[in-house]
Amino acid sequence: MSILDVNYAAILVDGLSFALPLLIIAIGGIYSERSGVVNLALEGLLGFGAFVGALFVASTIGLFAVNSDLPMYLSFLFAALGGALFAVIHATLCIKFMANQVISGVVINILSVALTGFLTSTINANFFGAASERFTLQTSPRWDIPFLMEIPILGAAFTRVYPFMFIILLVAAFFWYLLYKTRFGLHVRAAGDNPHALDAAGINVARVRFWAVVISGALAGIGGMSFAYSISTDFSPAIYMGYGFLAIAALIFGNWKIVPTFAACLIFGLTRSAAFQLLPVFDASAAVIDLAMTAPFIVTLLLLALFGKKNRMPRALGEVYDKSKR
Amino acid sequence: MPKKEQQHEILLEVKGVTKRFPGIVACDEINLEIRKGEIYALLGENGAGKSTLASMIFGLYQPDEGQIFIRGEEVQIDSPNEAVALDIGMVHQHFKLISNYSVTENIILGDEPKKRALGIFPYVDIKSAEAHIENLSQDYGLEVDPRAIISDLGVSTQQRVEILKMLYRDAELLIFDEPTAMLTPQEIESLLKVIKNLRDQGKTIIFITHKLDEVMEVCDRCAILVRGKLVDVSKIEDTNPREMAAKMVGRDIDFSAKRPAKTVGETVLEVQNLRVEDGTGFPRVNDVSFDVHAGEIFAVAGVSGSGQTELADAVAGLIKAKGGKVKLRGQDLAKLNVRKRSESGIAYIPEDRQSVGLILDFPLDQNLALKSYYQAPYCKTSLLKPQAFSEHANELIDGFDIRCARGAKTTVREMSGGNQQKAIVGREIDQDADLLIFVQPTRGLDIGAIMAIRERILDERDKGKAVLLISLELDEVMDLADTIGVMYAGQMLKVAPASELSTNKVGEYMMGVTDDE
Repeated sequence: MSILDVNYAAILVDGLSFALPLLIIAIGGIYSERSGVVNLALEGLLGFGAFVGALFVASTIGLFAVNSDLPMYLSFLFAALGGALFAVIHATLCIKFMANQVISGVVINILSVALTGFLTSTINANFFGAASERFTLQTSPRWDIPFLMEIPILGAAFTRVYPFMFIILLVAAFFWYLLYKTRFGLHVRAAGDNPHALDAAGINVARVRFWAVVISGALAGIGGMSFAYSISTDFSPAIYMGYGFLAIAALIFGNWKIVPTFAACLIFGLTRSAAFQLLPVFDASAAVIDLAMTAPFIVTLLLLALFGKKNRMPRALGEVYDKSKR
Repeated sequence: MPKKEQQHEILLEVKGVTKRFPGIVACDEINLEIRKGEIYALLGENGAGKSTLASMIFGLYQPDEGQIFIRGEEVQIDSPNEAVALDIGMVHQHFKLISNYSVTENIILGDEPKKRALGIFPYVDIKSAEAHIENLSQDYGLEVDPRAIISDLGVSTQQRVEILKMLYRDAELLIFDEPTAMLTPQEIESLLKVIKNLRDQGKTIIFITHKLDEVMEVCDRCAILVRGKLVDVSKIEDTNPREMAAKMVGRDIDFSAKRPAKTVGETVLEVQNLRVEDGTGFPRVNDVSFDVHAGEIFAVAGVSGSGQTELADAVAGLIKAKGGKVKLRGQDLAKLNVRKRSESGIAYIPEDRQSVGLILDFPLDQNLALKSYYQAPYCKTSLLKPQAFSEHANELIDGFDIRCARGAKTTVREMSGGNQQKAIVGREIDQDADLLIFVQPTRGLDIGAIMAIRERILDERDKGKAVLLISLELDEVMDLADTIGVMYAGQMLKVAPASELSTNKVGEYMMGVTDDE
């Protein structure tokens, strides 16, 4: 295979279909962290969200027409709910019980892996009658966007796109607006910079942070569900690939701001898809392909090493807000 | 001063209010009446309960006993929100501002004007808020740009943002908690003008301070608190600073603590041609030489930023000298790090007691052993001995009158500034070092604590210690010094025995006037 045979269109589409779920997870992380709560639990949240979404699909399989896409769309709603619910654990531990936010996040990740693995097997064995550690999903439809797909070179980004990419763009736009233009967003960003000031302004810091963390769970759930459709078309513990952590890297690299974070996600997504598509050119063995999977992480390390100094994290990030301490 | 004697409408009444914290009664059955349109001072030493009282009026704390009336109606103020709804505003000692937000965003926080884009999507209407704030700023002469980002603004502008916050919410009763603590003299002057201006436009002001001159300058009436108890309320025109000071400390104050040096001994500290540069290579301390002898207080005078702090830091080893020599009892210190210098006999009371002098979230006993925790008796065979820490702490608490609610285990953050400073002074004096460096030892303290610390400095001098005192307060230099060195723009402009220098003369040197001119 020569370098001319490489499917460049696939690099663009695959890159985007990886970057967008990453973006929505990262936006979730931005909400949590801009409100002052460290969220290392994104990995666990995306997994649990995807689990709930996939469970919905698996358990309602007979209720919809065979070729209906409706279960797929609804699964995103359930994934968001599942992620939000699981995030309540993180919010409660960190805000109500003032637990260490890093430890809480790590514990939630471990809990999520174990719990979803156990529940998937148990539910499959007891309710669906087949011992399996996965919920199979229908293949997601893929769309060609008329007109746009005919643009030279870039048009490739508009062929064979996943519907979830549009869902994510809409949701991302909404949450961008919410964070930067509305009262709630103003409060979220204030809570992560100086919670005392927010408190003095008469706003309930705990409540703002709680909802910010819940939002991070919902968005991570949507991202997780997208990965379930794009990477594997099923839900299994294999979904825990470290992409939640990659989202954290993206939002740090994006300086806790949504637009630069989008750029970071694109870099990661395109690196990953380019690695996949270009490897056959070099007759790579399977082991090398495994190595290629690490490309986004290596890029992360490099970028953080080069640009890490310029970052300005939310000033009160990780600061447990205790009203009595002034 | 425009007085509104005819108007006796009571805006706020506090009746029998008591607030207890673990181990301390912060406010003890306080009764106050504050009239509409007056500037009412709450005067007292650090820890007298002024801030606690104000915090209860602003809803940050709830009184354990007693009642609060606003405009004659009893109210329960459970949160700052409710205080704001009752038209009460407060400027805290530490500003509550979001550093990366604009002035406008900070002011509207919690009370944002809302609009809807396309009639559907709600958003915060920053534009109209900016215009409104610009008007307020002009009306009250505050000169604040509503679009500026907080982190770009100086302390006094940030404070005016806090004032605008209250005005934006139509506050009628404005509480200022030690508003001048962080300001320069010029900034204080302009703040006091703003406060008078606010009063003249009909606002009522509670002014919390421990500085008598400010009370004399702007206030109409003054309440004095001592250890949580209200001891006096008087009209400013019927009283004088001496009387107020006596009530505040509970005894007569001898303002002049001066005691002449007995005998001056051998040279302890020798500084020769010292040079300290900042990051850009600019000399902060330039070719400075002087000696400090046993039994002598060598005071360095100078306006802020003349290189005094850098001088002290270089002697203590906190920053590296670029050139010159520092010798302690003849031994060159150049190669010694901070700990070695400390061990060889330098005690250091730093300017910034909270960030350099103490670990605020550690208990008092550990803070008191910060210089010696690694030695016996605090540490034996690499294990810390808690018993030794608390015994040592208890000695210093008694010896230096450090007031702390829970004794040796009190978290230093909970203590008042004066007691934090007493703790540092106690710890450093306890080192029994030959040389004591005091940098701004009384800054921000109340009269009682100032007197106590000055006494200590004189005591140490009389014990035969060499004292290097750095102070921005000319009075302090004149009161304590045996020898005065005046720094100007990094240079030691003049060194002379205190007896040969008048206050005016030192003031001239501080401004850079030399003998030839």
